Amino acid sequence: MKISNNIRLLCVILSSYSLFSACSDMYGLPEDRDFISDKIDYTNKILEPILGRTTVFTSMVEDNSTLPMKFEIVNARYGDGRPVTDIFTKAPTYEWIQEYDGLEKSIAEIEAKRKLVEKPIFEVDSNGRLILWASANNKNLKPRPVDTVLKTQDIRFFDIKVQNSGGTQIIKDFQLIPWTQRDYYPDTDINPYTGGKAPDPQRPKDTTRQDYIIPSSLTNVIGERTQLPLANNSIKKDVVVYIRPFSGGKGNSLRIKFLGADGKFINPVKFNQTKWDLLVHGFNKVMNPEYVQYDVAYPIPLSNIKTDYSNGGTAFFTINYSRIGFGGIRQVGQLSLNYRIYKKGDWEIVFHFRNENPKFEDD
Amino acid sequence: MKLQKLIILILSIFSLQIAFAQNQEIRGRVVDESNNGVAGVTVINAANNRAITATSDNGNFSISVPANTTLIFKAVGFNQRRVTVRANQTTINVQLSSTEDQVEEVVVRGYVARKKETTTGSSFTLGEKDLRDVPTANLEQLMQGKVPGLNVQVNTGAPGFRGSTQIRGLSTLTTTGSGSESILMPTSPLYVIDGVPMDADRASEFGLQQQGPGISPLSLIPPEDVQSIEILKDAQATSLYGSQGAYGVIIITTKRGNSPVPRINYTHSTFMKTPPKLRETLGGNLERQLKIWQIYNNARIQGEIDNIMNTPMLADSLNAFFNNSTNWQALYYQNTFNQNHNLSLDGGNEILSYKSNIGYYGETGVIKNTGFNRYSANLRMDYRPSKRFDFTGQVFAQLGKQNKGDGTGILQTGVSTGGMNSTLLPPPGFFNASADYISAIKTKNDNSSKLIRPYVEGKFEILPGLRLQSALSYEFASNNEDRFTPAAAAGQFSEVYSFAGRESNLYNRNIINYTRDFNEDHNIFINLFNEVRHNQRQNSITKQVRTPNDQFEGPLGYDGWFSRGGGILSNFRNEKALSFALATSYSYKSRYIVDLSYRIDGSSANGFENLYTKNPAIGVRWNAHHEEWIKSVPWINLASLRFTWGVNVMPTSSLERIYGKYDISGRYNQINGIGINYEFIPNPNLKPTTSMQYNAGLDLNLFNNKIEIIYDTYYKRVENLLFESFLSNSTGFDKLHSNDAGLANYGHELALNIRPLPAASAFNWTFSLNGAYNRDVLLQLPATFRGQFIKWDGGPDLLHSVNRVGTSALSNYLLQNVGVYATDADVPVDPTTGLRYRTSDGTFFQAGDPIFVDRNGDYILDQRDYARSGNTQPLWTGGMQNNFNYKNFQFSVYASYTAKRTILNYALAQRLDLFRNPFGQIIENGVITGNGGQSVVPVDDLDIWLQDGDIAKYPYPYDFSRNSSVRPFRYDQTLWEENGSYFKINNIIVAYVFDRDFLRRFKLDRFRIYASMDNVYTFSKYSGPNPENVTSLGRDASNGYPVPRSYTLGFNISF
Repeated sequence: MKISNNIRLLCVILSSYSLFSACSDMYGLPEDRDFISDKIDYTNKILEPILGRTTVFTSMVEDNSTLPMKFEIVNARYGDGRPVTDIFTKAPTYEWIQEYDGLEKSIAEIEAKRKLVEKPIFEVDSNGRLILWASANNKNLKPRPVDTVLKTQDIRFFDIKVQNSGGTQIIKDFQLIPWTQRDYYPDTDINPYTGGKAPDPQRPKDTTRQDYIIPSSLTNVIGERTQLPLANNSIKKDVVVYIRPFSGGKGNSLRIKFLGADGKFINPVKFNQTKWDLLVHGFNKVMNPEYVQYDVAYPIPLSNIKTDYSNGGTAFFTINYSRIGFGGIRQVGQLSLNYRIYKKGDWEIVFHFRNENPKFEDD
Repeated sequence: MKLQKLIILILSIFSLQIAFAQNQEIRGRVVDESNNGVAGVTVINAANNRAITATSDNGNFSISVPANTTLIFKAVGFNQRRVTVRANQTTINVQLSSTEDQVEEVVVRGYVARKKETTTGSSFTLGEKDLRDVPTANLEQLMQGKVPGLNVQVNTGAPGFRGSTQIRGLSTLTTTGSGSESILMPTSPLYVIDGVPMDADRASEFGLQQQGPGISPLSLIPPEDVQSIEILKDAQATSLYGSQGAYGVIIITTKRGNSPVPRINYTHSTFMKTPPKLRETLGGNLERQLKIWQIYNNARIQGEIDNIMNTPMLADSLNAFFNNSTNWQALYYQNTFNQNHNLSLDGGNEILSYKSNIGYYGETGVIKNTGFNRYSANLRMDYRPSKRFDFTGQVFAQLGKQNKGDGTGILQTGVSTGGMNSTLLPPPGFFNASADYISAIKTKNDNSSKLIRPYVEGKFEILPGLRLQSALSYEFASNNEDRFTPAAAAGQFSEVYSFAGRESNLYNRNIINYTRDFNEDHNIFINLFNEVRHNQRQNSITKQVRTPNDQFEGPLGYDGWFSRGGGILSNFRNEKALSFALATSYSYKSRYIVDLSYRIDGSSANGFENLYTKNPAIGVRWNAHHEEWIKSVPWINLASLRFTWGVNVMPTSSLERIYGKYDISGRYNQINGIGINYEFIPNPNLKPTTSMQYNAGLDLNLFNNKIEIIYDTYYKRVENLLFESFLSNSTGFDKLHSNDAGLANYGHELALNIRPLPAASAFNWTFSLNGAYNRDVLLQLPATFRGQFIKWDGGPDLLHSVNRVGTSALSNYLLQNVGVYATDADVPVDPTTGLRYRTSDGTFFQAGDPIFVDRNGDYILDQRDYARSGNTQPLWTGGMQNNFNYKNFQFSVYASYTAKRTILNYALAQRLDLFRNPFGQIIENGVITGNGGQSVVPVDDLDIWLQDGDIAKYPYPYDFSRNSSVRPFRYDQTLWEENGSYFKINNIIVAYVFDRDFLRRFKLDRFRIYASMDNVYTFSKYSGPNPENVTSLGRDASNGYPVPRSYTLGFNISF
């Protein structure tokens, strides 16, 4: 009797214990999972980047989905259903390791802050940013047709698959329609469809004429012949700029030249107030009567940070000279240019005084 | 003075009546049916119902009483016996018969007294002794840490206000207020005071920015008048209280007359309240030097250094006006001395008994110009002309007077900003004082809450077992606030504000119940009752600015230009409610008990779609200790298992939510048009909130009742929670009230009570420990949210909160701070663009800045980098009580704890942010309009980044120039997240009861003196001032009212 009582007691204790300890599993509570919104989307799904430069598209709207998430480009195809593979071509491109601050003392110091990596020319990074790297060019990614007629079968479509522990969302029908390479900016002299010469906006049908790049500012530059200030407007363009490659450089040179109306180069020394050492973030300056040359790291500017050579978005420089003007006033003539050069190479920036040379002599 | 005279008067009247009697020594022994001595039997003098002594281990006792005294012998497990002492008797031997009902504790269920043993629900009882010796304005404070599952947080020290009280976790997702002031909508339990339900949340509809006196109705009850408090936790116990009981029920029973000889009890205490340690501040020249050092070393442009010259407070150090070292905090805080008096008179016999209790409690706030006074008078009379008829009449009359200064009571924003003034500024003097100071100290604020509640009850037994009972109460409360702000505090013109509110509650209850035993073994009990309630409330405010002058406070005429409106507040109420309830119980040999109950509640506030809510409940109990085979186990005295299920349905709707709100909306054809208010779209399908709860419990008394264990586990599912969602603007309406949200709470509660020493020893120790673990999980949200809702905070603090299904229901949505950048090179650089991590305005992060996790990886800090973090509700709460008695000495220590809770230390954020603007200039539209200037505080004790390479926790505070871009001390970051666990010693009490024989010489019946300390010490790793003094969402707003410590000396005296 005594033993059976204890067994009964034990049974009661055990069964009540098991009842009480049956914890949260029994309650059928929902799991602690990440949140993924069904409104997750991109505000811009038609991507029209220009080839040859790194473009980052950050238009994702997470709608407060739990980050980090996993992104993947899926179902890349042309409008007619053919699969797209060229966007996954791997090519070497630069990635930054450290911040470029404009204070580096040599090319090597700059190069130490970035590295070349082999990666697909177009990708979605771990944060949903769509990146077309500078390694994508006219050769490995065919730009939109030169005849300006955009047909569905020429458009690359793709979807993006987003995942976290809360589930998967597929954002459909992105379009990638790249523009042909334009290796520099301002690119007013390039036709964006063909990459050839841009037509003159005054007479677009006249193929013998073209549009030009003009300096960002042109002040107090007095013409040698007319004694009038040189000007750029819709009727006349006294000073235009050519950004063009030249041959015979080291592969990473930048020259600045001044071409006179007579077809001869003006000695840069004549622009006597110019701070030649702070003109570009370049090294090994060479000055001769034809040009000023620097060794530089491309692209210019290297990043969108504000430095002595860049205003945050574009590189810029100012060419100054001074003379005693009419009435004994000292006049400072000024030419400036905001510019970018995307492609590594030997480039020259030529200021062409088309109609008359500037007057350097005092009045 | 008046009180003293009264005492003397009453003393002299009664001393005449008490005849002097000779005491006689009596020895004796108490035995059980088998003639074994019974230890621990209480011997009570029936004349005054006071325990005289208890029997020793072998049942012996000795007492000294006058002849013809009736003694009552009482012990657990035995029927009590009355014995009258004859003249010259010297020995008394008593045999007690054991009872089947070992636990004779009686509890109230559905307004009817029941034996606790036969109830199936989960409840916990506190007695008079648990509540004494600590004078407090609020009864709830005394319950802290004493009841498992009752989470009381004393999160304000404001006199007359209450903290937060929750039974078994979270019941709502609704928050009010914004930023660090946002709080959870209070879901306090229903208080039933002597049979009349009372809504404890009635003063709190407007969150911390409340209107009117805000005196908690619980602050009006003098703790000395409370006999017992019972806390009902599970749905079986609360379902009989219907919809109002959805958040638990607390039943308060006041004392009643219980002594043939009239007794006078007087309790007095004098207590000192001291403010907690105030913020350390650098004074005078130290402040000036630090600010100038800060400017020199952190200026980015020359203009910032030159600005010192435009700041006379810094530059003109020889100017007497700026050459000060003012301790501003000391001007606002004070130590206060306060008094508490309570006088009660009771007496009566079986037929007629009476009680009156008069109390005064006065507390001056530790913040100057605040305070609370309570005056109360409670009268009760019970008349029982025959065994079949019972009549009770009772009147509660209470007056609370309060002064809130210029704050809202819980928040004292004026004092908080005033206390941070620069020490260089001159202190208030005859010619000059800061507006903050004038406002805090000179604002005249007068609040009062007056409450009167008569109550009558009659009981009649028609047939044996069949009883009829009817009760009626009418409560009337009047609340007023008048505030006069002097001109210097309100832009050179004085102003007045006034609040007038009234509330009435008519309550009627009729009960018919029947109980019967069949064949000794079967017992049935049927209880049918209805309740009728009519609740009315109307509050209105008015405000007039630019009144004539400081001397003329009124009466004021009407001026449309300077009247700032007012009108009736939105908490207007006119509710009629009718309820019916049926409770049945069946027990077999007191072993197996089944409880079934059903209640329907109808309320005029519900709307016709869901006019009646239904609250069913079922409970079973097995009293295993009545089983023969357990009786043979000697060390088990009581063992019961309980299982219950119940539903409480609570209307969350209001007529506004169901039918829409209509406003006068302009004129059309010369007639005033009435149109719908477009804020909320009416939702006639709004359902009441359903709270369903399972409970399983185990009661054990072991080893001769030396160990008592109460264990409960529960699962509570709250569904159809009210949830506001925003509508697309094409609907025309802003918001929709839906009720698709749901949450669950589950947890365990354990109460352990140990009396390790033998009952008869002179040294007596009781140790109680209790703990509750509660976890809340969000079950569901309206489908449109797909499982996550973020409540964006539009205020400057950006304190967003997030509800995500499957996680704890209320979490913060914060930037993740993981340290401080030691060097510039540690700031991550975007490999794609080569740019450093930066703020959304383009300021790059640098060494000394906080490391915010870039959740979306775009190297820009913005609102997409927020993440869910922390749990604002505590997981563990509980307490510990230690009582030591040695002869006439008593020593008690009460403690409570809260663990696993995230709190946000904004006190520290604010302290570090004081370095933001060393000039202290107030700049409006680019023009310097004033010299504000804030004090600076020492930060040496903190782990702060100071130079390159420092691995620190807190960012560099001195970089004022970039501060507005980087905002290193922004509130919405995890840097302020701290573990809010604490262990608080609530009270230490030392008491001494004088010897009876000694007292009799002075014609005293009882004299007890005591000393106590309240809010003694809080053990916590929290770096802020007080981990408890935070809002219910765990935010330590530093403009709250600090919780003072108090030291008390007092005595109880009885005649």
